[in-house]
Amino acid sequence: MSAIRVPEPVGVLLVEDDAVIRRSVQLALERYGYEVDVTGDGLDGLEAFRAGAHDVLILDVMLPGLDGISLCRRIREESLTPVLMMSARGDALDVVAGLEAGADDYVVKPVDIPVLVARIRSLLRRATFHRAPAPEPAPDGRATDVSDLPTGPAASPESPTAPSSPDLLVFGGLTVDLRGLEVHLDGRPVPLTPTELRLLLAFAENPGAVLDRRRLLRDVWDYGWEGDTRVVDLCVVRLRKKIGADRIETVRGFGYKLVRG
Amino acid sequence: MATRLFDPRSLRWKVAALVALACCAVAAVIGVLVHRAADRSAERAGRELAAAQVAAAQKEFSLTGRRPAFADLRTTADLPAPLAQAVADLRTPGAHALWYDVKAPNWYWLWAAAPVGEDQVIVVRTDMSAQVRSLQLLDRSMVTAALAALLVVVPVAALVAERTNRRLSRGSRAARRIADGDLDARIGRQGRARDEITEISAAVDAMAAALQARLAAEKRFTADVAHELRTPLMGLVTAAGLLPEDDEAAVLVRTQVLALRVLVEDLLEVSRLDAGAERARVDEVPLGELVAHAAAQAGGETRLRTEAPAVVPTDPRRVERIVTNLVANAHRHGAPPVEVTVTGARITVRDHGPGFPDDLLADGPQRFRTGAAERGRGHGLGLTIAVGQAAVLGADLTLTNAPDGGALATLALPRPPGPTHPEDA
Repeated sequence: MSAIRVPEPVGVLLVEDDAVIRRSVQLALERYGYEVDVTGDGLDGLEAFRAGAHDVLILDVMLPGLDGISLCRRIREESLTPVLMMSARGDALDVVAGLEAGADDYVVKPVDIPVLVARIRSLLRRATFHRAPAPEPAPDGRATDVSDLPTGPAASPESPTAPSSPDLLVFGGLTVDLRGLEVHLDGRPVPLTPTELRLLLAFAENPGAVLDRRRLLRDVWDYGWEGDTRVVDLCVVRLRKKIGADRIETVRGFGYKLVRG
Repeated sequence: MATRLFDPRSLRWKVAALVALACCAVAAVIGVLVHRAADRSAERAGRELAAAQVAAAQKEFSLTGRRPAFADLRTTADLPAPLAQAVADLRTPGAHALWYDVKAPNWYWLWAAAPVGEDQVIVVRTDMSAQVRSLQLLDRSMVTAALAALLVVVPVAALVAERTNRRLSRGSRAARRIADGDLDARIGRQGRARDEITEISAAVDAMAAALQARLAAEKRFTADVAHELRTPLMGLVTAAGLLPEDDEAAVLVRTQVLALRVLVEDLLEVSRLDAGAERARVDEVPLGELVAHAAAQAGGETRLRTEAPAVVPTDPRRVERIVTNLVANAHRHGAPPVEVTVTGARITVRDHGPGFPDDLLADGPQRFRTGAAERGRGHGLGLTIAVGQAAVLGADLTLTNAPDGGALATLALPRPPGPTHPEDA
């Protein structure tokens, strides 16, 4: 994976109560060129988040003050910033609770810094993709994806696209604007996190096709075989809450598909 | 249940047979007693009648010198031998002798004889066959009554035993479910009966609850241990990563931190597997791709061969873990070439070293017992984890030695039963 060369340094907020992890992860990420703010308390973390514009949040699950899950939920109420949960337990409950609260991904301690950096890059790629859909070259290797989009399946005669705009996909009351990267449900804008948007686009590019969870995990989260498909399941749950539960169907044993009209 | 309905070893039929046996025994004892009492009273009545008649005949004879119509007058020589003997044995005058003449079939006579004058005997015969026949009738009706009672009692006993049976089989079903890992299964109280079955049900339920509480505590402990170990380990791993690349001491530290980390993760994995907390997350997995990835992950030079690799519903991360461990084990304890083959849903890992040691083949992998202690490589958890993960997947992992030398591990993943696959989510 190539390093991200961004015009201004990427701001990371790390909320972690263990002093050694906090400091060593901060130092390690700074070596990769990130600007890292740290706090050791959940409530301080919420304040720090509100005070500065961070590109990525890394939250420990067990925190004094306000635990990581609740912190993530509070942040989601006011922001779509990518959140990476860091759990030392790694058992189902921790992970599920974190993803339900709106986290985009999770890692289990001890995590290698290169792995952590790869996860941050994957989140940022989704975020940059979200923010910078303009045709100018995107800062990362994912630029091809952006320019590919308008000529993707959207152009095929079978697609439900309105003929006037090839970049606008319409699924009943749901419209996905591929150029402006905006999603509307019955005329009202739907706020989606970068991950949710990437997931919806993966579906929108293949309307009616069944996408298996491994493929979604690879395409949206950049995971190989090591990824946990619960990440996909719970993101689908969150997406359904925002765009309507019946829009995405579960195909038992295989994956999901976006209902065509 | 239905298959056991006619099983003669079932408790139901044992109880019914026991009740029938008891019923028959009671009927037999009562029958014998009644038969004997009736027999005796009939005989006594007969004797009294005979005695009265012979006394009357004797009196009439002594008064009139003629026998009455109901009596015979015979000479001693005319009498049947046993009666003649009995008459000869008489000592007191006016006494009489009795003889019960049993003639088959059912033609019984009670003889009463009293000597009158020289060599003459007055004889009265009473027909006893009516009594005998009524006795036989009594016997027959008692047998009929006993059989009728059996016809009622045996089904009733079977029905009553059925209830017990059902309670017992409900208990054994619950126990089997607990054994299969459903720790919430309980027998529960059934009805108002307070007997030994209630007692054993309560005992089994208490045992299940205790087991469940212990497992829950163990799981909690494992999760806590994981948290407590991983937090400082992560600090250590990250801090060690900050040390300079080219420093010899730093390299030593990093190597040992890595070893410690692998050991901690493996130990946590073993304890999670032991606690039975692991559940497979099933996806459609193309085995060819996955095994190629896993073999590369394990490091070392591995020859991969695929023959019609299947796409099976399984948990890819566990399959990867098993294959990685098997390949790493082959490189560590075996000798090259290490060959990995995927045939359908079957994955084999084979090396050309000395093969698995005998105790491993006999007892399965043991924790911390490495095949080559003197080489001191590996901590001996890899195969334990592989076996545990295979169990979570419902797959068969067999460890053998190839006929021409070398260890051979075969992982056979379950194939789907039909075109549709169960969903795990």
